[in-house]
Amino acid sequence: MGYLTATVQSLYTTLRESLRTPSTIEYPKVKRVRAPRIRASFALTRDAQGDENCIGCKKCEKVCPSEVIAVTMAKKPSPVTTKARGYATDFTLNLQACIVCELCVQVCPTDAIIMVKDQEKPGYEREDLTLTMDRLYRNGESKERWAWSNATILGEHQKPPEAPKPPAPAVAAAPAAAPAPVPAPEKKEGA
Amino acid sequence: MMENPWISGLVYSAVLVTVLMTAIAWISWFERKVAGRMQSRLGPTLVGPFGLFQPLADALKALQKEGIVPKDADPFLYRFAPPLTMALALGTAAVIPFTPHFLGSDLDIGVLYALALSGMMAFPIWIASWASNNKYALIGGMRMVAQGISYEIPMVLAALVPVVLSGSLSLGDIVEYQHVNGWFVLWPPGVGLGAFMLFFTTALAEGNRIPFDIPEAESELVAGPTTEYTAINWTIFAASEYGHSVITSALASTLFLGGWSGPWLPPLAWMVIKTSVLFVTITWIRWSLLRLRSDQLMALCWKYLVPFALMLLLVAGIWTHVRP
Amino acid sequence: MALIPTKAFVADPYLDLETYQADADLMTLSLGPQHPSTHGVFRVVLHMDGEMIVKAVPHAGYLHRGVEKLCEKLSYSNITPILDKNDYVSPMINEQAANMAFEKIMNIEVPLRAKYLRTVLAEMQRIASHLLWLGTFAIDLGGAMGGGTTVFMYCFRERELILDLFEALTGCRFHYNTHCVGGNRHDVPPGWSQGVHQALDLIEARLAEYLGMFDHPIFVDRTRGVGTLDAELALELGVTGPLLRASGVDHDLRRDAPYHVYDLVDLKVAVASGGDCLARYQVRVEEMKESARIVRLLIDNLPAGPLSSTKPLNMVTQFKATAGQVYVGVETPRGELGTWLIADGKKATSPYRMKIRPPSLHNAAVIPYVLPGHTLSDAIAILGSLDPIMGEVDR
Repeated sequence: MGYLTATVQSLYTTLRESLRTPSTIEYPKVKRVRAPRIRASFALTRDAQGDENCIGCKKCEKVCPSEVIAVTMAKKPSPVTTKARGYATDFTLNLQACIVCELCVQVCPTDAIIMVKDQEKPGYEREDLTLTMDRLYRNGESKERWAWSNATILGEHQKPPEAPKPPAPAVAAAPAAAPAPVPAPEKKEGA
Repeated sequence: MMENPWISGLVYSAVLVTVLMTAIAWISWFERKVAGRMQSRLGPTLVGPFGLFQPLADALKALQKEGIVPKDADPFLYRFAPPLTMALALGTAAVIPFTPHFLGSDLDIGVLYALALSGMMAFPIWIASWASNNKYALIGGMRMVAQGISYEIPMVLAALVPVVLSGSLSLGDIVEYQHVNGWFVLWPPGVGLGAFMLFFTTALAEGNRIPFDIPEAESELVAGPTTEYTAINWTIFAASEYGHSVITSALASTLFLGGWSGPWLPPLAWMVIKTSVLFVTITWIRWSLLRLRSDQLMALCWKYLVPFALMLLLVAGIWTHVRP
Repeated sequence: MALIPTKAFVADPYLDLETYQADADLMTLSLGPQHPSTHGVFRVVLHMDGEMIVKAVPHAGYLHRGVEKLCEKLSYSNITPILDKNDYVSPMINEQAANMAFEKIMNIEVPLRAKYLRTVLAEMQRIASHLLWLGTFAIDLGGAMGGGTTVFMYCFRERELILDLFEALTGCRFHYNTHCVGGNRHDVPPGWSQGVHQALDLIEARLAEYLGMFDHPIFVDRTRGVGTLDAELALELGVTGPLLRASGVDHDLRRDAPYHVYDLVDLKVAVASGGDCLARYQVRVEEMKESARIVRLLIDNLPAGPLSSTKPLNMVTQFKATAGQVYVGVETPRGELGTWLIADGKKATSPYRMKIRPPSLHNAAVIPYVLPGHTLSDAIAILGSLDPIMGEVDR
């Protein structure tokens, strides 16, 4: 008898589910709203005058855990200010091995490399997934495609304790902050 | 010309097979749609409106694929098994009265014929599993034979209840009898319903549907007896499994639900409605339950279903004598 | 319906097949590496007497990627994103384990806000991981086309809610890289905590619906008394996590060696006796409920303050460790994930040796002890209930 009632209950569960709206999103027709922080692909940015932000410092190349970024750097006069400064003469990012860890965005001193929201279109050749400097700058042309993060914003998020004290008091401050959660357990008892 | 039994038989079987195969194709679409909705999905949507032409696309795809015969397989038996399965699955349809007049042959032993063909379904699957030369297929085939032979017994005993009550082995006569005296699922009180549920349960097992799908057990045996099958060979297996379920549903509605008999609507409509309701229930159960283990399956059969079936048969026998 | 004991059989992982008196010829069945229910690329060679398994020999290593060696080369800041792929069902907790080891060896104190956030993320990840387990376990019992898939779809739908929240927080659904040495990298976006509450409400409501499908006698028949692991053997083999708790050992690192802010939440550890698949199911379901309670409790009380006690990453060589060694154990959904980190003062920016103790490896060690004496169907159910993640076993 237990079998019968349990079977009826299972049947009821699936029946109720079948009367609900399906949770499928028919992808090419309907596109899911992605979070503003979505990391998909990369772009290089230009400043307000149209000058390249990248100074070719190679920090991103060094920080990349999968070693997919290759930068060559040269000094030349800026077309805007005419002062000599560093430029990336070549910037390649190989998306095939990229793990989208965002560390290159994080370390960029000039907010030059950023993330974009939409993914690269799949292609038939390996080269289709190699982001050359041209493609990176093209990705950065429209600001609507930019994702949320750049080095400045990420830096703000993990700003260390503001007090410009030496590290020893900073460590002491953390245990001092421990009494702060006292309200928390009180609320918990209510919950 | 139609008096010639050969020609009329050919025409009837051609019509029946065409209709059934088409029905099976769209029933597979329907099952996928129902399953999708039960799982919070959409099911096929892309080919045609509501994905209605998905079965055609699938059949075309299967025809295009290369039918691989494994190197160490027995090539003849390997290719022989799928058509045999299909023949056995569809052969049962010959004796099922879809309307009072639309039936292939009103055999005197229609019930016996239908159950015999249904019971023989174990053989082509065993042939397939043996010919595949694959261990998963072998285990699946062994399970299939064990299950098929075991569940044969309560199924036949359950089907004997309407035979005893109506006093005829002919399916046409059984339906006529129910048309006059009421459906067997309603009387004798309890016995008819019990026999119907028993028949339905064993039909699930005969058709390898969850919760009795241990021969195919995807998570354990990859695909059971059909592990090595590809392309159109595999499609025939899948289609005959659907066909078997559909025809068992039709058989159950003939034996217990009065077949074509029913008020207001034409006989064929009643038959289609009853068969569809049973088939949807099979589908519904399939997507809602877990699978039993093989030894539990055997225990269920021999310890519970067979004694229950014998009891039902006994009560039905007494009934016919007590109430003339 | 009672189980039929196949044959009185004492499992012996070192069974000599030459001297074993089989009823018929033994059949060797290679389950995997390509098999629907080995949960990754994993191979178990089963020696079967009829349908009963007499000996099971697991072969791991198909997913070996040399992560530990890679960690010796990468700098401390770069290891985090690599470790996401170790236990690919709970990457959040992997990141935390490594970063906690780095913080311990560098004597960095994590700010309270980051500790709260880490606890919240770990518990949400635990719910997501257990949901995935529940779905795949149902498939193991029900067949890829069968009733199991229904629960699988439901579980994935609910897991999606949690992944969406992670995406809103970190920008990624899987390789989050949201932890750094000394804290977290991403602060909660506006409205996130309401989203967490809504998602948890929905998950709990829906979970209650389809857990009823697991009350079915067929499920109980398939799991009770199947794959029984007694506490003594479990402790001997180093089994941790839900497996150990299902065997009746009350052990949970979150309570016994609290990290993050687990000491504030008064954790109730789910323990079941029996040590069979049913007990493992019960323990994991209880853990999901407990995790939901912890998340609800903490998400409303996120303290204000900095999220990281270190400067934002600027150079690869930013984090340096002096010579020494530390061991940090955290409780992942599968058990104790240990990170043993040795730093020699010579190369300060990367570990000298980083040994990862994956819980799945030790949990999978019970396979030769537990599978024999069961049928093939039960073997699949047992493998599913162990919840091994091959990325972590082979690393």
